[in-house]
Amino acid sequence: MVQDKRTPSFLHALVGLGVVAIALGLAFGAVSIPSAAGYAGVGPNFLPWLVSGALFLCGGFMLYEARTGGFRHMEEGPPGDQPYWPGFVWMSAGLLANAALLTTIGFIFSCALCFVLAARGMRNAEGQSTGGLRTWVKDGVIGLLIAAPVYWMFTKFLAINLPGLTQSGWL
Amino acid sequence: MDVWSQLIQGFVTAGTPVNLLWAFVGCALGTAVGVLPGIGPATAVAMLLPITAKVDATASMIFFAGIYYGAMYGGSTTSILLNTPGETSSMVTAMEGNKMAKSGRAGAALATAAIGSFVAGTIATIVVTLFAPVVAEFAVRLGPPEYFMLMLLAFTTVSAVLGQSTLRGLTSLFIGLAVGLIGLDQITGQARYTGGVPELMDGIEIVLVAVGLFAVAEALHAVLFEGKIVESENKMSRVTMTRNDWRRSIPAWLRGTAIGAPFGCIPAGGTEIPTFLSYAAEKKLANEADRAEFGRKGAIEGVAGPEAANNATVTTALIPLLTLGIPVSNTTAIMLGAFQNYGIQPGPQLFSSSAALVWALIASLYIGNVMLLVLNLPLVGLWVKLLKVPKPQLYAGILIFATVGAYGMRQSAFDLFLLYAIGVIGLIMRRFNFPTAPVVVGMILGPLAEAQLRNAISIGEGSPMVFLDRPMSLSILVVVLSVLILPRAVGWWQGRKAAPAAV
Repeated sequence: MVQDKRTPSFLHALVGLGVVAIALGLAFGAVSIPSAAGYAGVGPNFLPWLVSGALFLCGGFMLYEARTGGFRHMEEGPPGDQPYWPGFVWMSAGLLANAALLTTIGFIFSCALCFVLAARGMRNAEGQSTGGLRTWVKDGVIGLLIAAPVYWMFTKFLAINLPGLTQSGWL
Repeated sequence: MDVWSQLIQGFVTAGTPVNLLWAFVGCALGTAVGVLPGIGPATAVAMLLPITAKVDATASMIFFAGIYYGAMYGGSTTSILLNTPGETSSMVTAMEGNKMAKSGRAGAALATAAIGSFVAGTIATIVVTLFAPVVAEFAVRLGPPEYFMLMLLAFTTVSAVLGQSTLRGLTSLFIGLAVGLIGLDQITGQARYTGGVPELMDGIEIVLVAVGLFAVAEALHAVLFEGKIVESENKMSRVTMTRNDWRRSIPAWLRGTAIGAPFGCIPAGGTEIPTFLSYAAEKKLANEADRAEFGRKGAIEGVAGPEAANNATVTTALIPLLTLGIPVSNTTAIMLGAFQNYGIQPGPQLFSSSAALVWALIASLYIGNVMLLVLNLPLVGLWVKLLKVPKPQLYAGILIFATVGAYGMRQSAFDLFLLYAIGVIGLIMRRFNFPTAPVVVGMILGPLAEAQLRNAISIGEGSPMVFLDRPMSLSILVVVLSVLILPRAVGWWQGRKAAPAAV
């Protein structure tokens, strides 16, 4: 695996750089905010600059920590410290497919699909075999059995708009 | 008595069948999310925020309070029966509770936790009833400088004092403040960080951030890192307490309540400190024979005290939320967001402007406590079954509810992509031990604090000296500085004393 070569401090440095990047992004945005303070003494651009500066300092300090042995006061990692990326991909696929398809195929089917993909990722992570058609069907049915009542409860009982395949509010 | 008649009025409102039903559903749902690993009260309330569009304010606040409350009861069940530490507040309960369960006394541990939660919750609700109006009356006299200082105190404690690393806590806080900046400036109406996208004018929805950081990040973390963790469950036993258990539990409940209640009242947050204090107190006060059980067979005081302290803190935390509008935990911050969805700003005026709502909410706490006692003592076996839900279905199911919350708020599929992005950020934060509470508190309290800051400086005619000229704001500033400096000074002092000894 790739990440075996990476030390924790390398990852910590990346996180620190990310925070610095956010700080710079905020500063870039803050330039265009007018400072018109009126009576207040501080205008609408005061807090943006403050937050940007503070994040810059935090990010810088993190880089320093990363260079000198990694973040301080870390909790001990979970026992299976090696990340299981295939599971992450399955679950991400589920979430993104849901986001892309929700308005097209309706809440029930879209969420059931997300359920199947996410459950598959988790099953694989646990080391279960998921080759058979049976697991797919089983997860699909459970997904529908959760999504459908949720949909009806929110659309019929609480009158909250969720997208359906039809206009009936039942499917 | 004024409080008395207001409270009676509150019971009348909370006692209507519809509101009782909301309270019951809230308590049941709260217990369920408390028991289920991977989802907590903050997530549950956040996912259900869309209902604020349709359900009236009183009913939904009663509902959310039920979830908030119920999760505390449910959480102890999981920490006693499962051998994996959950949230920090139930970690202490887990220490002794687990030991008791291993030596076949799970039932007694569950009973003392539930009854202790009831006793502490009820006493703390009485404290809320008596003191919240007094605090509100006092808080009317606070001006923007004082409010800003109180918010600064909340920011400081939630980010720099609680948690393992001040650096990471502060980073989380400022990221939350940055998210809070997006949208229209409250005072001048100036658009900030919207990039011309009309959806961003209203700012980022709390639901998205909370559900993304908690639910989605939790599921992604589970699939990446927790697949191989095998959880073992302790055996249930009959839920009863012997005469001796009662003798040992009752004083522990009362001491736990006495320790926990004051901690909730101050806008400093966190149940970690009171629960640990209560645990330490019980261990110290136990007689010789009972103390031998701590850490070995499991001492019942070690469950009863912290569990009572936890519930007392959580309940009295409603005082700063309702009277000052200052939340100090994830869940109370999201409840503040729920109030804002109704255009209600919690604060001293709440007790006069929305008296009916506030008193119905307080009355529902009494009712909810009784409901939860019933739900958690005779029916505890039902909730234990939830622990048997396999992880794939659990996390996949959580994602369905996350979709409802994120999409239901604004009916925008774009929000679902944003939800995923926030989830990935939450995963990184979780991986590297960044606390999440400062993000949520910063995001919700940030805009309010900014407005108070600018109003305060206007009052001072452009001079920041206004914070030092007013005695009340100066004293809060001193408190802020001392919570920042004292622990470090003590640590440094001890380090210096220890150093020569080591040489």
